[in-house]
Amino acid sequence: MNRLPLQGIRVADFGQVIVVPYATQFLAWMGAEVIQVETETRMTSRQTPPFWEDVRGVNRSGMYNFNNTTKKSCTINLTDPAGVDVAKNLISVSDVMTENYATGVMGKLGLSYEVAREIRPDLIYLSVGAFGRTGPMSDLKGYHSITNAFSGVADVTGYPGGHPRLLGSLTPDVTSCFYSVLAVLEAIYHRYRTGVGQFIDISMAECMVTLIPEAVADFSMNTRVPERVGNRDKDKAPHDVYRCKGRDKWVAISVSSDVEWNNLCEVLGKPELIMDSRYTSVQGRQMHAEELRVAIESWTLLHDGYEVMHLLQKMGVTAAPTLDAGELMDDPHLQARNFIASIDHPEVGIKMNSTVPWKMDSSPSFPIEPAPLLGQHNYEIFQDILGFSVSEIERLASSGTFS
Amino acid sequence: MMSGNSESPQIFEGLRVVEYTESISGAYCARLLGDAGADVIKVETLLGDSTRLRGPFPGDSSDPNLSGLFLYLNYNKRGITAKIDSIKGREVILKLLENADILVLSGSAPQLDRLQLYYSDLEKLNPSLIVTAITPYGLTGPYREYMGDDLTAINHGGLAYVTPGLPDVIAGSENEPPLRANTFISDIEAGIQGASATLLAIINRLFTGDGDQVDLSVHSAVAAMMTFETSQAVYNVPNNREPRTFGIQPNVYMPCKDGYVVIAAWMPASWNRLKKVMGDPDWADSEVFIDQYERARNWDALYPLLLEWTMTQSGEEILTKARIAGLPAFPVYTVKQIVQSEHLKDRGFWVYSEGSDHKVQLPGYPAVMSETPWRFRRSAPNIGEHTSAILQSELGYSQKDIHAMVIDGVV
Repeated sequence: MNRLPLQGIRVADFGQVIVVPYATQFLAWMGAEVIQVETETRMTSRQTPPFWEDVRGVNRSGMYNFNNTTKKSCTINLTDPAGVDVAKNLISVSDVMTENYATGVMGKLGLSYEVAREIRPDLIYLSVGAFGRTGPMSDLKGYHSITNAFSGVADVTGYPGGHPRLLGSLTPDVTSCFYSVLAVLEAIYHRYRTGVGQFIDISMAECMVTLIPEAVADFSMNTRVPERVGNRDKDKAPHDVYRCKGRDKWVAISVSSDVEWNNLCEVLGKPELIMDSRYTSVQGRQMHAEELRVAIESWTLLHDGYEVMHLLQKMGVTAAPTLDAGELMDDPHLQARNFIASIDHPEVGIKMNSTVPWKMDSSPSFPIEPAPLLGQHNYEIFQDILGFSVSEIERLASSGTFS
Repeated sequence: MMSGNSESPQIFEGLRVVEYTESISGAYCARLLGDAGADVIKVETLLGDSTRLRGPFPGDSSDPNLSGLFLYLNYNKRGITAKIDSIKGREVILKLLENADILVLSGSAPQLDRLQLYYSDLEKLNPSLIVTAITPYGLTGPYREYMGDDLTAINHGGLAYVTPGLPDVIAGSENEPPLRANTFISDIEAGIQGASATLLAIINRLFTGDGDQVDLSVHSAVAAMMTFETSQAVYNVPNNREPRTFGIQPNVYMPCKDGYVVIAAWMPASWNRLKKVMGDPDWADSEVFIDQYERARNWDALYPLLLEWTMTQSGEEILTKARIAGLPAFPVYTVKQIVQSEHLKDRGFWVYSEGSDHKVQLPGYPAVMSETPWRFRRSAPNIGEHTSAILQSELGYSQKDIHAMVIDGVV
């Protein structure tokens, strides 16, 4: 196998829920050794549904198993001073440390950047907070929905005349995850060149605001507040989702030029619409969008979303099916590009998992291993990496340090 | 604070990036590299990047140098124009690439195929070059030739189907179809992921000395956002756009007296804080609300009780009480409130793009890095602003050569 980009990098991962665990999963796929520091006394995604076969259990959560593949797990009780010492041992042999507790928690645990830097001067310390670690709102607690509501993204999302709506997919978590990966890679590159580590403070709220430049610029330039427009766009029409064959099935069609419009009319079997003066301009097609919906759906309802895509794309019209998450995992194109992997987990069996969304010539494949069982690698980590003797490990275990 | 000072080191100082893009994703990818200090040269066609026409514009008066979207995607870059499908124009591009570290391309795969600027085309010219191509469906696979934009990407990638989404419950699938946020989420996400993939290739190059071809599809960039919903699907949770609950509660988006509020209080400590904020009502201690799972099972009984309380409170009242109690709850803010937010200002998040006739507030880079703070170094280039300077002083063309190329419509 070729050299993986992050070969030789060790990550001590104190992350919770999605944002940091998903980010460190990317680091693991890219070749880093990611060690999750967990505790039996406070678990987040391991206790979050869905559980396989609806049987609750710390190794059975889809939310955990899906976002923590290719990592190692050890359990350390961070409310026990001896546990904090073990964590410090781990930090001393790690290149990167990650956390997304509420602001101030790592300090209370005795594992702030100031402390960690003393132990490992060139450490890269990623700290992700709902509102960041500085500023007047840094004390506020928040999950994805909180930062979504704050960010203004909800304000530009909604049906015409309706109230603000929240984006699905835990967008604040995954968006902040991708920025976290980028910032950690920047810090790793900088450390390779200079030997200097650093502290990275990421605000999930700010990550969200980077998604709405037009709304921010328009308010700044013209003090204009956004209107909610459903799926419409100011420069394109038709530009919407249309019903197709099946219950709650939809297809997206986006027409950005008159040529595309003409081609769409041909595929619809309604060439007379091409010459219809109501529809010859974008503005006209926007004004008559609901009449056009009837004309378009009279055809799309006869086909499933993939058929509509193939028929329209072959005629040069931009279209794609609206997929739910199950259909996404079955998408022929994502499968052909190896975005979907099959992983055999010791407790829940063979499961599909999404993986790396990009391809690189230098790494024809990436390592994809099952998520660890809780504490699965305790001995490997405490003995082989940290150098504890078996009797020391047993003594600490019996006093609850590894619970 | 965040924009750093002129002495702080820049991570990508000395790296040269050339960008040629027909879509938003590649422009954002290249800008992120510029934010960290790379020297980014944006190559535009003679007509200019299409986002120059998009706006918004100050006073709604169209000006290709003042489009808000363009200003955002292209700060921290220099810009030249070139007709790259002409012999002379291609010569300019190849001269730039001879000494570049990274080439960022975006557009549809057939558009990029015609450019002949993949790593395989350029390997002989510059074997350590990294070429990052961001396309709607990637450079391989059955749909590689298909066209795409943000609307199709968020639908085919799964985001639209689940929007409005957790914990925002829809009232009916017919009247509330899959929804797009009125912005370019897929392109921005692909830009971030593209920058990460490019940087992985740069890190690899430190060890191998080799260049690389990076191939990112916007389709999979969106699919990669769906980690929560796909995990649900793989674990046999039925697909349904109208779930009342996802197994733990309360985690809810609901009306309050003057708007909407989110309350994320399923964990035991948060639930106790919520009870306290509501004034410890008797019903909250009922057996049927004993833990997050029971609260989800009995959500139809719990929701009206919560609603009765939220409708007596304004969003700011809920926020004030929640903040004191340490409860995760927040009202929906407007874009106006965000632009004017003291918190974001205090963190130095904003960028102010300035020219002789404009000053526009724009989002910055959302990571504060202690040793290598990112820097806003320059506003987006006017069309062709740096053509002469770069051709003359960096590529060695004479003024006469440049004049001839201008006459011939090459630059």
